[in-house]
Amino acid sequence: MKMKKFKFTYNTALFLLWIVIFAFIGIKAPGFLKSKYLINVMLKNIVEKGMVALPMTLIIITAGIDLSVGNIMVLSCMLGAMAAGSMGGAVGVVVTLVVGVVCGVLNGLVISRVKITPMVTTLATMYLYLGLARGISEGNSLYSYPASGFMGTQNILGIPLQIYLLIILAVIFIYLLHSTAWGRKIYAMGLNPNAAEYAGIDTNKLTMQIYILAGLVCAVAGLIFLGRFTSVKYDAGTNFNLNVITIVVLGGTSINGGIGDMRGTVLATLIIATLNSGLTVLNIPIDVQTIVQGVVLMLALIAYAVVNKKNRQKRILKVEDPADGAKASV
Amino acid sequence: MSENVLELNHIVKTFPGVKALSGINFNLRGGEVHAICGENGAGKSTLMKVVCGVHQPDSGEMVVNGKKETFSNPLEAYGKGVSIIFQETSLFEKMTVLDNLFLGHEITKRKGPISIIDYAAMNKKAEEIFQRLNTDIDLHALVNTLGMAQKQMCEIAKALTFNANIIIFDEPTASLTNREVDALFEIIRKLKSEGMGIVYISHRLEEIFEICDRVTVIRDGHYISTKDVDKTDKDELVADMVGRKMDNYYPKAETPIGEELLRVENYYDEGFLENISFHVRKGEILGFAGLAGAGRTELMQSICGITGKAAGKVYLNGEEIHCKNYVEAMNKGIVYVSEDRGKYGLIVDLSVERNISLPQLDRLKKALGKLDVKREKELGEQYIKDVGIKAPHGEFLVTNLSGGNQQKVSVSRALALDPVLLILDEPTRGVDVNAKAEIHKIISELTLKGLTIIMISSELPELLGMCDRIYVMKDGYIGGCFDRDEVSQEKILSVALESGKKAGEVQ
Amino acid sequence: MKKKNLSTEFYLFLFLLVVSVFLAVFAKGFYTVNNLMSILNSFSYILISAIGMNLIMLTGNIDVSTGALISVVALALAAIGKLGVPFAGLILAGMLMGAVLSTLNGLFITGMRIPAIVATLATTQIFQGILPLTCEGSIYDLPASFTWLSFEAKLFGFIPGSLIICVIVTAFFLVFARYSRFVKKLYAIGNNREGARLCGIQVDKTVVICYAIAGLLFGITAVIVATASQRCTTTMGSGMEMTFIAAVVLGGTSPAGGSGNLSGTIIGALILAMVAPAITYLGISSNWSDAVKGAIILISVVVSGARYLKRKRVIAGAAGGEA
Repeated sequence: MKMKKFKFTYNTALFLLWIVIFAFIGIKAPGFLKSKYLINVMLKNIVEKGMVALPMTLIIITAGIDLSVGNIMVLSCMLGAMAAGSMGGAVGVVVTLVVGVVCGVLNGLVISRVKITPMVTTLATMYLYLGLARGISEGNSLYSYPASGFMGTQNILGIPLQIYLLIILAVIFIYLLHSTAWGRKIYAMGLNPNAAEYAGIDTNKLTMQIYILAGLVCAVAGLIFLGRFTSVKYDAGTNFNLNVITIVVLGGTSINGGIGDMRGTVLATLIIATLNSGLTVLNIPIDVQTIVQGVVLMLALIAYAVVNKKNRQKRILKVEDPADGAKASV
Repeated sequence: MSENVLELNHIVKTFPGVKALSGINFNLRGGEVHAICGENGAGKSTLMKVVCGVHQPDSGEMVVNGKKETFSNPLEAYGKGVSIIFQETSLFEKMTVLDNLFLGHEITKRKGPISIIDYAAMNKKAEEIFQRLNTDIDLHALVNTLGMAQKQMCEIAKALTFNANIIIFDEPTASLTNREVDALFEIIRKLKSEGMGIVYISHRLEEIFEICDRVTVIRDGHYISTKDVDKTDKDELVADMVGRKMDNYYPKAETPIGEELLRVENYYDEGFLENISFHVRKGEILGFAGLAGAGRTELMQSICGITGKAAGKVYLNGEEIHCKNYVEAMNKGIVYVSEDRGKYGLIVDLSVERNISLPQLDRLKKALGKLDVKREKELGEQYIKDVGIKAPHGEFLVTNLSGGNQQKVSVSRALALDPVLLILDEPTRGVDVNAKAEIHKIISELTLKGLTIIMISSELPELLGMCDRIYVMKDGYIGGCFDRDEVSQEKILSVALESGKKAGEVQ
Repeated sequence: MKKKNLSTEFYLFLFLLVVSVFLAVFAKGFYTVNNLMSILNSFSYILISAIGMNLIMLTGNIDVSTGALISVVALALAAIGKLGVPFAGLILAGMLMGAVLSTLNGLFITGMRIPAIVATLATTQIFQGILPLTCEGSIYDLPASFTWLSFEAKLFGFIPGSLIICVIVTAFFLVFARYSRFVKKLYAIGNNREGARLCGIQVDKTVVICYAIAGLLFGITAVIVATASQRCTTTMGSGMEMTFIAAVVLGGTSPAGGSGNLSGTIIGALILAMVAPAITYLGISSNWSDAVKGAIILISVVVSGARYLKRKRVIAGAAGGEA
């Protein structure tokens, strides 16, 4: 791969977009550029979403979707907090992780064995997990415990622990998707599940794996979330699901499956983080930020649709050179 | 004889890279059944899709009921009296029979300022039509609850709702039982007696002699001949369908044939396969002939563990094996290359090298699950060179390759798995003549390297040219087996087409 | 001799019946006029929008922006209502705004060929963001003319006006679904997009119109929701889209499109509207209502999915014809 000609890919575009936003906000509000602000506000606020966006990217590449991630996060950390209350922090953490995995298993089982579409399945389990969290907590807030607090507030060398975690997870997921045989299977399954089966890939197993992985990461995010806010209520995950999907789609992953890039997801996480905190610094109300976020997503979609159209035309013309548009670098 | 209701003059249709129809002439009179026959891929179905507006011709003229017409979609064709009953039904599965019959041209009545669907009128008309067809399908049943024969009946009824006077049947008997076929023929005779023009596409010759008045043969997209059915015979038709051929397209290498590699005994799968036994020896190319739907694909996929369980025994090198899934078969060296490249074979949006590596990703793993990209590249380059895939480099997307080169990628992918037995399902379907010859050469060379090959094909010349032995399958059982030196197209056809069907088939 | 297939609606109806009897026995006070009317009020606004959602989902599309759309419309209505505009004006304005916003969704989806779920995800955020630009969190002290529907419009003194609207709308759409050619087209598109095109149906245009019609209905829901109190906040509709989608899915409409009946949606909406009060009257904390909803939806899709799997024997590599 060395000596490769520079290609203007979707990732490059995202990166440039990020730089522009970053610079714009930095110039308008110099306070934004202080490292303390960048780390403590900008990054810290996005950690949970950024983490969950990683397995969500895998899921969407297989042409699936998971609308229940935010609710898994809340349910797992709540049950963990309850367990911690009676049996200690270690048990709490274990319970949190186990609950996340169990939720993922349920999603995966219904999708791969009963063959219900991922959207319907996770829509139903979204209600279920939300409802369980509400019922078990009786609508009350649950409070952080030391182990969770450690995850949410501990600093190492002046940088919060969760940021290290996010970076580690991002590296692992980039590796998993782009460098392993397993990642290749994910793309194959998203592009053509039948052909993948005929190439000896066990798509049911793969489905189980990614939804379980999503559940597990949600649980980790839950630990951080609880620690950071010190308390959690059952409906805390409501907007979380769609926000995570926004990040993934902004990152260039096609909702139809088969196309996507984990690095794009990481870049999109940074863009959303910068937008959110930057606009706050600029004293723009939080709701305008939502518009901006929506417009950014819309522009990304339109750009994407245009690129796709071009690619398709190229194909019809049978150009000798393989399409070198944004999606070719899959 | 009455006048021509349909005339086609010099119809030409090309698809990217393939000339599907080159100047076809055809005419149809009212009150006759006119057969179009030809081998698989001769262009029969394409021609009819042009007639009914699914495809638009590049050039040529179409005269329907005395007027020059062009159709941009089937609804327009229906409106002018042309309707087609497709091989695979084009019905809307999750809607009722009645809705399907009138979709897009519902009968309406005015109720004040608005027009609403007139169910009573639609029901009445549908019932009349079903009475005419002598059938009693529930008009309010969902289409996906119907059997094949009933769906076909709906299609015919749909054609009649348009008051069509030209009906095209595209391989109508492919998935019908004997009794259903008889019922269908009765309907066709009735429609004919009412003065309709009927086009009947089939490659089952005895059906043509039973029901048709004239027959037009096309081959490789060219018009060959039109004859009165009572003035011709089966041999003449077969000769027209097959043409000359049988020459150096088939560079078969003389390979020493070794001992038995695979033996299948009493293979049985309810409704698909009946008591099948066969064997293949090392270095052999074994052919499987038969009509589409004869069970060849099902047999091979079942042996490879891709589809369901079947009863019976499979021995590889004398040892009994039972592949629960395809991965097990691959690991034992049995590799299957699907007939439908786009759907079950290649992933066209991936590059050549990634397609080749796909089935063996688990073998290309290094520590930590890391993919050996270097090895993958080498594999890609190696097969591009060895098999002669016309791609500039391994990262070239498969979708940009021609059909023949895509097929080479399929074969390469199988070869990369180091198989001992390679099962090729229709290896040259949708591939142009030159690429065909290349693929045959590749297959031939493989046997020299000690590989054993089972080849399913619907193209008889290909089987005759390439295979050491040929089994002929029909309705899920093996109807005969011929050695290379005793086989002929006629012998195969007579087994594959033989009318001695058994009663009580599936469905 | 017609053999009736037992449909999802039938099973749902059976379930509803069993639950109703069960509640009569075990939930003291469930069948009081007050409680029933309050259930029917929420049933009304759920159903009206669910009808619209059902139309959209029949085509294989979806709309996750409905909640935000309703919030936008509700707030705009409050702004108009403050001026003393009477109910007739409000409902017209609501339907118009709903239709316009929803048409935008439809155009976005068909024009850019973007999957509906993503496109409406984007518009959700835009709708959500528009709101606070127009007001500071909420509009309050709304006049009596604004809340007329929920406080004064009661037939015989106890039947809520919303229910009357709902009955009219539902009756209209029951007829519309059966007697219009338009709805047939929606089914056809959901069944087989390409097949529909070959039948001469203008797919894109039909989908856009479908969104517009659904928008009218979302607008009506917005009116009911907005006029329920003297105060209108920016989050009135948040999360409602999930309830609508759930009602439709529960009613047996496949999100893949092409199948599903309005009658199923009606029962689905009723079941969802009943869950929360039923639980309360059974003496269980209302906190469990969402879990029960989720379980009902999950079990219903799993059961119908399992039935489908059983019926269909997988035939792989089906005999291919020639090209």
